[in-house]
Amino acid sequence: MKKELNEVTKSLIATFLGLLAGALLMLSIGSNPIEGFTYLLKGGTMSIERIGNTLSTATTLILTGLSVAFAFRTGLFNIGVSGQMLIGGLCATIVGLTLDFPRPILLFIMLIVAIIGGAIWGIIPGLLKAKFNVHEVVATIMMNWIALWVVYYTVQAFLIDVQETQSADLPAVAQLKVPWITELFQGSSLNLGLVVALLAVIFIKIILDKTTLGFELKAVGFNRDAALCNGIKVSRNIILSMMIAGGLAGLAGLTFYTGFAENMQIGILPAQGFDGIAVALLGISTPYGVLIAAIFFGILHTGKGFMSAMTDIPPQIANTIIAIIIYFTATSLLIQRLWVKILRKKKSKKNAKGGVD
Amino acid sequence: MKKTLSIILSLMLVVALLAGCNGGETTEDPTATPTPEPTVEFGDNTDFKVGMVTDAGTIDDKSFNQGTWEGILLAADDFGLDTKYLKPDGTTQAEYLTEIGNLFDAGYKFIVTPGFKFETTIFEAQTKYPDAKFILLDGYPHVGDWAPVVAENTVSIFFAEQEAGFYAGLATALQLEDGEVGFIGGMEIPAVQKFNWGFQQGIAYANDTYGTTIVMNADNFIYEGSFSNVAGGQQLAAGMFDKGVDAIFCAAGGVGVGAINEAKTRAEGGEDVWIVGVDVDQYADGIYDGTNSIILTSAMKGIDQAAYDMILAETYGTFPGGEMLTYDSSNNGVGIPSENPNLSDDVVTKVLKAFDEVVAGTIIVASEQGSLIK
Repeated sequence: MKKELNEVTKSLIATFLGLLAGALLMLSIGSNPIEGFTYLLKGGTMSIERIGNTLSTATTLILTGLSVAFAFRTGLFNIGVSGQMLIGGLCATIVGLTLDFPRPILLFIMLIVAIIGGAIWGIIPGLLKAKFNVHEVVATIMMNWIALWVVYYTVQAFLIDVQETQSADLPAVAQLKVPWITELFQGSSLNLGLVVALLAVIFIKIILDKTTLGFELKAVGFNRDAALCNGIKVSRNIILSMMIAGGLAGLAGLTFYTGFAENMQIGILPAQGFDGIAVALLGISTPYGVLIAAIFFGILHTGKGFMSAMTDIPPQIANTIIAIIIYFTATSLLIQRLWVKILRKKKSKKNAKGGVD
Repeated sequence: MKKTLSIILSLMLVVALLAGCNGGETTEDPTATPTPEPTVEFGDNTDFKVGMVTDAGTIDDKSFNQGTWEGILLAADDFGLDTKYLKPDGTTQAEYLTEIGNLFDAGYKFIVTPGFKFETTIFEAQTKYPDAKFILLDGYPHVGDWAPVVAENTVSIFFAEQEAGFYAGLATALQLEDGEVGFIGGMEIPAVQKFNWGFQQGIAYANDTYGTTIVMNADNFIYEGSFSNVAGGQQLAAGMFDKGVDAIFCAAGGVGVGAINEAKTRAEGGEDVWIVGVDVDQYADGIYDGTNSIILTSAMKGIDQAAYDMILAETYGTFPGGEMLTYDSSNNGVGIPSENPNLSDDVVTKVLKAFDEVVAGTIIVASEQGSLIK
């Protein structure tokens, strides 16, 4: 008998439980869950524009999910994705608002500075972890707040146009939105960010599976002491891992602030950073898993409003249902334990019946 | 790896194909547009569906969202409409547009959006959904360059905040007779500035006309910079009260909540301090010992009235599309609450007299800064 559940099965069970819990909640307020979920799915997929919106919501989640997943593989918990996003987005916004280059060059520079900005914000907790053994959860959470206020003051001091709460709008050449994609997807918010995200998925897949660096990072994640014994430089790998995770989050910031939105609103920690944790968990920390999980969440976020509009499920309940689904999907570890427990019970029952060990 | 990739790609293709089919079914039928005729038989208007997208904050924010929604609900009661509000994930244009699309696709083609943050969103939406009608409160559609483009299916509504501020200032001065007043604003945006300037003119008018001796010190006229920093509002209010200010006019959303809390604490301790509320009648928010409130009066703007009126107009087929309307004293769009337990009858009478004079044009409240404090 198989003791361990397949990782993919675990994710699927978690998703199913999440949907089931959502259905129970809908029932409890007197709504029809089948109707609710149908509209939820339709809302995310029933037109080209809606698919575009789903993918554009998923774009940022793919990158934040990758960031969390990549650090996970080295045994690190990166809760600082929101902050890294903010700094990446800030760097890209500054470049987009100040430099005047031909579009491809401008976008390329924005991409690079977003990666660098996010990477720096990731390296700092990485260094603290590697050199002083400061727990990365604490360090990254602190970095989130530092990023929030850095963005707050930088935007207010240098990047405001008229409204005090957001930076000036980026010029069209400095946005990831391109007319042919917007037209193709009938005015949806989909943009070049998706290409960036898909390339990042492939890039991370190659790093993890085909390179020595990936092997070393995973070795550190599996067992730090064993890796050290085998001559792997653990500290260097921790810093590198946080740097790459930060760079991915910086890219997420690029896609969110220069693609999905057209300016930076201040005083808001982007929720996508935290959703990235759920995406990574549901995607079992693999690049393709993250991709699928992000699209799933994209459907939920885009379809939720349509579900509310078509049924009597109020927006608050719709949000709660999404949260419940995310919550359940993030608890695949519990499902593993539960499974083992069930197996054990069955086994002990069998033993009791048979009377033999 | 190749295999997984091909599976993903084919999955995406299937989804795209399926979606394509569904997309065909939901093509908008132009004849489905609600064509309300002037009708006296209210209570039977179920094709007329009114939707609202909330701004930052919740539906019960005691300010813009709540005021708008209450106006819609009142209209729904009177005319038997179907209503729905949606709350976007965030406050970006993309998120606003998603929710407008959700309302539109579900048949809610009369959409009310509160707040200037919707300006660029409505600019996009009014051309994207020509069958829909939009009400934009406190803003006008533009592409990001502040040049107004109000399409035939959109009405943009502004309020004469300076007049509301004037009445509140006048009432405050008359009630206090002497002392000092201050002002806490949220962001330095026109709607808030006009409240401030009107308030100062109201105080000055009382000093000149009725001989009150209210002092206004420029140090006590402050914009906090946000509508959400509750702690910041509390600190600002504490600072002003410590300097001897007797009443603070707050036009600052959540920042004002902080100031109200500070005033409540001080009132409980026996201090004689007041807050002048904004947007809606905030009297109930200022109650500190079960009966008494520190809200002297409120500078109200008829957000609910505006939402109600537009729905009424649509019901009668007189929707003023393409116009930029201003709600002021002459159409009862601004004022102070009808009941002011903290004001004497004499004060209320004098404010009502001023109201009539503003309507008649004998008092003109400036909406510009001029020589006023910022």
